[in-house]
Amino acid sequence: MIRHECLELLAVKITDQLVVTSQSGQRIEWSHLSKHEGNLLVGMMGCGIGVAMGLALALPHRKVIALDSDGSVLLSLFNLATLGNLRPKNLVIYVFDNGVYSGSRISYPTATSGNTDLAGMARSAGIVNAHTIRDIEDFKDRGMEALSRGELAFFVCKVEESLLHREIPRPNTDLAENKYTFVRYLERTEGKTIPFLGRG
Amino acid sequence: MKDELAKRLVQGLKDAGINFVTYLPETRLSQILPLLRDDPDIELIGAASEQEAVTIAAGATLGGKQAAVYMENTGIYVSSYSLLTIGKQLGVPILLVVGYLGGVPDQRNSFLYATIGRHTIPTLEGLGIDYMLLNDGERLEINIGDAMRAANAQRAPYALLFAGEFSV
Repeated sequence: MIRHECLELLAVKITDQLVVTSQSGQRIEWSHLSKHEGNLLVGMMGCGIGVAMGLALALPHRKVIALDSDGSVLLSLFNLATLGNLRPKNLVIYVFDNGVYSGSRISYPTATSGNTDLAGMARSAGIVNAHTIRDIEDFKDRGMEALSRGELAFFVCKVEESLLHREIPRPNTDLAENKYTFVRYLERTEGKTIPFLGRG
Repeated sequence: MKDELAKRLVQGLKDAGINFVTYLPETRLSQILPLLRDDPDIELIGAASEQEAVTIAAGATLGGKQAAVYMENTGIYVSSYSLLTIGKQLGVPILLVVGYLGGVPDQRNSFLYATIGRHTIPTLEGLGIDYMLLNDGERLEINIGDAMRAANAQRAPYALLFAGEFSV
């Protein structure tokens, strides 16, 4: 299974969901596939799921999707325990697990290429709907079906290492620009003022 | 900390518009937690790490909440990565309510805390996070409101360091 084919399937399902990415090739691939104003392209490893969790708690009626990687989740394993207890019903997390630190350009292995099972850890942390997806048919079925369910879902999508993101133009929207597009989109679709924007 | 001071601190947060608080418990300001938990106007979220507490608060802020993170000053070290990248670089206002252990005004200072306290303000300054040191209840509500306004104006975290009377 290739990450890009999963993201292609996901991109056509996006309507008003909020999509948070952490830093990895999926941020570049997603920004190329989707120009949705509800994309928040968080450019830091280990922060995406936390930000997505905060959004999901602040906006419990909106579906929030987090796109993350094995290296990023390993950097923030504490998120599993908090998710397992809070269980926000409007949050779906896809962890694209290629088993390597691909962004390092030397692709040294992550713990998931050894003995570590992230979905098993998530279940033990209290996330009931945590599964490993190993092929595209399962992604189409279980992975996509979670978008229409009101239950926290955590999918570890086992993907081959792909260097496609290095051939795709990187997003030239800077972090602040993306943030303002995102919060203006929320203001418009939620019909409320985001407090910190204030007046000039 | 006297109960009255804890009540004023929580009321000050509410007056400043805070309606979402993430936290890891600590010793100096812990009386505020039951008050926050029982307040219907505040959503209180326990985190497993201060780094996580900062990212959850940032997400809530982007979703329209006014968020604070309550932590011990050791949490500044733990969360420095997310304070810098999500707080400063992405530009997300978050009020940091910090029990300031080991600083000179900490009334329970000891060899256990002094090193932690010694490096707190230099770390905040290194991160470029503005702060205010509060040792007593004078102008407490005004100071909290000023700090939240500064965080929103700067689009950045702002730290309130509580010691002195708050650490008794």
